[in-house]
Amino acid sequence: MYRITFILALCFGVTTFAHDRFILPSHTILSGDPTETVPSVTLTASISNDIFHPDKPLGDDGTGELNPFLKQLFDNMQYLVVHPDGRVETGMKWNAFGRMSIADLTLKTEGTYRIIQRQGETFLTMFTNAEGHKDRRFGASPNLPEGATHIKKVTFEMNVVCFISLNSPNKKALMPIGKGLELGGPSHPNDLFVGENNSFQLTLDGKTLSEPASVVLIPGGTRHRNDRNRLELQTQPDGRFNVTLKKSGFYLLHAEVSREPEKPSKFSSQSYSLFATLEVFPE
Amino acid sequence: MYVLLFSFIAITNPKPMVQIELELPDIQAKPYHRPYVAIWLETPERKGVHTIALWTGKPDWLKDLRQWWRKLGRSMKVDGISGATRKPGSHRIVWDGLDAEGRPIQPGIYLLNFEASREEGGREYLRQEITIGAKAAQKLTLTGTRELRAITITIQGE
Repeated sequence: MYRITFILALCFGVTTFAHDRFILPSHTILSGDPTETVPSVTLTASISNDIFHPDKPLGDDGTGELNPFLKQLFDNMQYLVVHPDGRVETGMKWNAFGRMSIADLTLKTEGTYRIIQRQGETFLTMFTNAEGHKDRRFGASPNLPEGATHIKKVTFEMNVVCFISLNSPNKKALMPIGKGLELGGPSHPNDLFVGENNSFQLTLDGKTLSEPASVVLIPGGTRHRNDRNRLELQTQPDGRFNVTLKKSGFYLLHAEVSREPEKPSKFSSQSYSLFATLEVFPE
Repeated sequence: MYVLLFSFIAITNPKPMVQIELELPDIQAKPYHRPYVAIWLETPERKGVHTIALWTGKPDWLKDLRQWWRKLGRSMKVDGISGATRKPGSHRIVWDGLDAEGRPIQPGIYLLNFEASREEGGREYLRQEITIGAKAAQKLTLTGTRELRAITITIQGE
């Protein structure tokens, strides 16, 4: 059995409409001499509810042909690489294709890299239209159709990440950059093996969480099986959680926490999501 | 520092402490690539102590010896430490009980690990508890099923 705390699925505002997102690297662990071979990793990213099977692109540097909705979304996202020395590089080049986006990462130094696609605070209004159907509009003050009821205004932000290590992993790239929900803790995301207990800790805007967050892990390959095999857990109030995985492969970790705004606001909740790709190896 | 890593003792010590006979299976695969093999020592808590033998090729693929890589490989300098891959058949490895810096390994219980990984083939990982510095001699056998076959470990008594 999994040595984790099982809880019932928590109902949060954003997960009811948002699709899953992921960045899938060709490799998470590499060996070699960066002065001789210049190791590289190719990454694909997608907005998709089929885990690691792409559906829509995620990320673009402005050159891809995209529908206006995705273009606006991608133009406003941040594409970051956190290097093994902790330096945060902006403007990673992603190219959108029909079903996925692609980027290359060259590893010039040894250690751990964190790739981030970040969607900052986004305003959303959910409502029921005059015909009784659920609908939504983005933007701080959208025009709603006449007869809209059950109006709920929320904000959300999302970090989509993966981790890659050349030779010995280190932890400078795992230190919070202080934006949104981030994954840290004693375990290293590039050192995960079947049957071993791993301990992680989430931070929000670089600070320790003060309330439990929901964490869901889904093994890749949902298209080829009949059950999503969701592993649902809840963090301690300080964001810590432990997990032991019994099968190897890629997992998508989706963490989420929602808060009421601190100051009076027209938005009833602020949600923060993290999608992290983890690779687990067999012994 | 790594000069002594493959001190196959015939040269450095007339009284070998640990002898390993290891058989690589003759696998009828086309193409056949010789496996990468690592033999190393860990503490009972599974912390890497010392690499006893390493038969590999390009450093880019060392990560495929994934247990050895995480325990010892990734924190070593990878150039020039590796011996060439070996052909199928029986191979003899002799270890003098010294670490990479030539110091004797402290007496106690350890895990002796064997890992083999073959391109376009499989992977095998075996381990055996041994005692270093025991009064009695030890003779232990292991049998692999995929990329390793019979392994005989002979450890001299004090």
